[in-house]
Amino acid sequence: MADQIYNAVFVGSIYALFALGFTLVFSVLDILNLAHPAIFTVGAFTALFVMQAGVPAPVALVIAFVVCGLLGVLLDRVAFAPLRRRGAPPLSAMISSIGVALILTRLIQLRYGPDLQAYPAGSVPSGVVELGELQLDALRLVIILVALALMVGLTFLVRRTSLGRQLRALAEDARAARLLGVDVERAIAATFFISAGLGGVAGVLYGFATNSPYSQMGLPFELKAFTVMVVGGMGSIPGALIGAYLLSFGETASLAFLPSELRDAFAFGLLFVVLVVRPNGLLGQKSPDRV
Amino acid sequence: MTKRLIGVFTVLAVLLAACGGTGTSGASTAPSASVATKADIKVGVALSLTGVGNAYGPVQKNGVQLAAERINAAGGANGAKLQLVIEDDQSTTDGGVTAFKKLVQQDRVAAILGPTLSGTAVAAHPVAQSAQTPVIAISNTGDGIVGKCAYGPCDYVFRVSLGESAAIPETVKTVKAKLNLKNVVVMYAQDEKFSSDGFAIFKKALEANGITIKKEIAYSRNDVDLSVPVTQALAETPDAIVNTSLAGPAIKVLQEVAKRKPGLPVIGGNGFNTPAIAASAGAAAEGAISGAAWYLDNPSAENKEFVAAYKAKYNADPDQFAAQAYAGLYVLLDALKRTPTPNSVLHDKLKAQIELTTGVKTPLGEVSFNKDHDVTQKIYVVQIKGGKFVPIN
Repeated sequence: MADQIYNAVFVGSIYALFALGFTLVFSVLDILNLAHPAIFTVGAFTALFVMQAGVPAPVALVIAFVVCGLLGVLLDRVAFAPLRRRGAPPLSAMISSIGVALILTRLIQLRYGPDLQAYPAGSVPSGVVELGELQLDALRLVIILVALALMVGLTFLVRRTSLGRQLRALAEDARAARLLGVDVERAIAATFFISAGLGGVAGVLYGFATNSPYSQMGLPFELKAFTVMVVGGMGSIPGALIGAYLLSFGETASLAFLPSELRDAFAFGLLFVVLVVRPNGLLGQKSPDRV
Repeated sequence: MTKRLIGVFTVLAVLLAACGGTGTSGASTAPSASVATKADIKVGVALSLTGVGNAYGPVQKNGVQLAAERINAAGGANGAKLQLVIEDDQSTTDGGVTAFKKLVQQDRVAAILGPTLSGTAVAAHPVAQSAQTPVIAISNTGDGIVGKCAYGPCDYVFRVSLGESAAIPETVKTVKAKLNLKNVVVMYAQDEKFSSDGFAIFKKALEANGITIKKEIAYSRNDVDLSVPVTQALAETPDAIVNTSLAGPAIKVLQEVAKRKPGLPVIGGNGFNTPAIAASAGAAAEGAISGAAWYLDNPSAENKEFVAAYKAKYNADPDQFAAQAYAGLYVLLDALKRTPTPNSVLHDKLKAQIELTTGVKTPLGEVSFNKDHDVTQKIYVVQIKGGKFVPIN
């Protein structure tokens, strides 16, 4: 039982890590950035690339954060900014992001092929932490702690810093924010840097946990992240966190009590009920007052 | 009687070819005609070079190109060189049909290898069947590819890729004897055809061998983590876990089992037969068992030659898909050598010779076709030991 709760916390943390960056961009810009799974993958492969050159794992994590963050800024410049200038509808931005996702995935395939890869032997930290009867995999514990730290950090950033204020102003109304002196383009760049950087870190951590990064590893997360966002309330960061753990605990509980074939039916049925009761999601708001 | 004679000649032919001879063996079955026909023999190859199947298509292309290179360097089919016409089937049924139509109508190939995926094959094969062009399937492992086909007669279709319905019962029989298995938990990805088909075959084989299935656990191929279902499986304290899935989920299962119950045997299907398993799961992969049509470290002469040549050309280890593609062309070559007019648009003679394929030596072992045109070969039940596949049967 304790085993399964720990499993559920781990899975929830992974969902949450992925969904955070996804939610951030949506909350500020109303864009569903479908390149997020590809950036997640780029994170895992950036770490693979530098670790094959002998860089230790923690440094690789930081490098992946920076590389993916910069890639996020570039993504905005290339795929979103031109559309924004022309006042294109959000749907165009979404399609543009699909194009970027295809390009990034293909680039990874050109370098590494479509097969499963592995980090150099012995380079990924491993170990076991004993907690009474429970044996916890150290790497997973690290992932859970990093995920929690990033969630707290992001919430602090949005709520308590001047950049956070700018982001919230931007989310409310871009034109008004500009009139009030917010450097909108800079705030958008910061949003993409943080979002993509978090996505990259999530990719590295998940890559470490499975030790089998591959060119499409981000895709299974896409649907989960959608679910998490919708349930939590589109664009709400605390909502995404709650949604992530709700989904993982729902999935785990259904395995314990129901035939395994019905697991997804149960998990998604639960989410359906949540939406019937609260159509805007758990923490969703009708106004664009989010972030 | 004549069948057996031809079989003997076949073996002789391949032996001679392997020794660098130019293949004079066809003397009795392919008289002077072969001397006159020196025009290149076109062989069509339809593979998933793009789309979801591009995890397999490119290595198949490597395998078949390597085979063509080696065959032509050794004198081709009685002096005629094999000319490959490679088409991308784009991993779709439409792409497969288009590729086959081009190969049959425009290139007028002698025979076709492919396509990569079973779903594409059942759509594309009828094109070749109605044009009476022989096909050798090199990677389709599902049912309905040869023998009895849903689209009607498929007597021009052959298959060198061992089906799971042959490999899995052999695996179960072997592990029962070796591990004294009494009960297992079976895990599978319910939303993936390969995995759920494997599950059904395993279930039948386990029941036939009197092994109890304590629990069946379904998961999704999109699950990002399998610790929950594995914990569930281990709670049943089985003698072994059976997991039918492709490599990705298999790695996650092996990692979880090694963490929670080190040493518990994990038995799988064809999805286990890739070097990625040992590379990614590391020590967690030790002891994993599966049934295979081919394994990298097979010490046979044909396989050693193949692996060395592949490494030299592509700077990577081949996998089973490359080996089956390579073997497919050698099987075709064997029949071409015995066919008087291989370039004729009337392919019935070539087809008749492919039907007589007996004991062709390939990296897979000795390949023959049964009356359903399906491959018969040795099935290797292999276990990962020290990061390598080692046969246990």
